[in-house]
Amino acid sequence: MLERPNVIKHYRWHMGTWAWVLHRITGLALVFYLVLHIWVIHNISSGPKGFDKVMGVVQAPLFLFLELGLLGCVLYHTFNGLRIMIVEFSKEGCEAHKMVWGAMMAVAGFLFLLGGVPMFVHFLHSIAG
Amino acid sequence: MTEKRASGGFYAWLLQRITGVVLAVLLIAHFIVTHGLPHPSGVTYARIAPRLATPTWKVIDMLFLACALYHGLNGVWMVLQDYVESEGMQTFLFGVLCVLGAILFFLGAITVIPFAVQA
Ligand code: HEM
Ligand code: HEM
Repeated sequence: MLERPNVIKHYRWHMGTWAWVLHRITGLALVFYLVLHIWVIHNISSGPKGFDKVMGVVQAPLFLFLELGLLGCVLYHTFNGLRIMIVEFSKEGCEAHKMVWGAMMAVAGFLFLLGGVPMFVHFLHSIAG
Repeated sequence: MTEKRASGGFYAWLLQRITGVVLAVLLIAHFIVTHGLPHPSGVTYARIAPRLATPTWKVIDMLFLACALYHGLNGVWMVLQDYVESEGMQTFLFGVLCVLGAILFFLGAITVIPFAVQA
C-alpha cells in the first residue's frame, strides 16, 4: 500500500491565507468559465456561419477586456498550483518557500505582460473599429 | 469528524496534482494557439477549424477536456467538503458533480471527435 504522505493534512500550511483564498477563487472562476466554454465551443459543429455568429457575440470588446482577467486567473492559479507542488514534494523547496513563491509570481507576472499587452492592444483595436 | 474527509483520499490528491501539471502545459499552449499570440486575431472558424480537424489536435483536446473536467470538478468537491457539514448533502452534491461532469464530457466529446471542416 502506498502511504498517504503526512504533508496532506498540513498542505494549507505552506500556502498562507491569501495565497490560498486566491487559489480557491481563481479555481472556481475557471470552472465557471469552463462550463460556459464547452457549451459555446460546441457551436463549432454547426459550421462556419453559426460558429462565427456566436463567436462574434462572445468576442465583443467588453469580453476581450474580460479575457485579461481570465488570463490573470489562469496564470495565478497555474503558478501558485506549481508552487504548492514544489513545496510539497521537495525538501529544499519547502525550506526556501518564500523564494519559490517569489520566483513563481515573477514568472506569472512576466507571462501576464507577455500575453496581456498584445491582448490589450487587440482590445483597443476592437473598440477603434 | 470532517477531518478525515477534508482533503479527500490519497488518489484524489495525487490525481489533482498530475492533472494540474498536465493542465499547466496544455492550458498555456491553448491560450497561445487559440488567441494566435503573439499577434492576436479573433477566434474565427477559418482560423480554428483546419487545426481542430487534425487527429493530433483531437487527441490533445480530448486529453485537455478530461483533465480540465476532472481537476475542476474534483476541486469544487474539495471546496464543498470544507463548507458542507451534512453527509447526506455531501453525497447528493457529489452526485450532482458526477452528472455535470458526464454531461460536459459528452458535449465536449461530440464537439471534438467527429469534427470535420465544413464549407
Ligand atoms: C493550469 C494548471 C493548473 C495547476 C498547476 C493547478 C493546480 C492545482 C492544485 C495543486 C490544486 C490543489 C490545491 C490544494 O490541494 O489545496 C488545485 C485546486 C483547484 N483547481 Fe487547479 N490547477 C490548474 C488548473 C485548473 C483549472 C483549469 C481549473 C478549472 C477548470 C482548476 C480548478 C481548481 C479548483 C476549483 C481547485 C480547488 C481549490 C481549493 O480547494 O481551494 N485548476 N489546482
Ligand atoms: C479566452 C481564452 C480562450 C479561448 C479564445 C479559447 C478558445 C477555444 C477554441 C477555439 C476551442 C476549440 C478547439 C481548439 O481550438 O483546439 C477551445 C476548446 C477548449 N477549451 Fe478553450 N479557449 C480559451 C480559454 C480556455 C480556458 C481558460 C480553458 C480551461 C478552463 C479552456 C478549455 C478548453 C477545453 C477543455 C476545450 C476542448 C473543448 C471540447 O472538447 O469541446 N479554454 N477553446
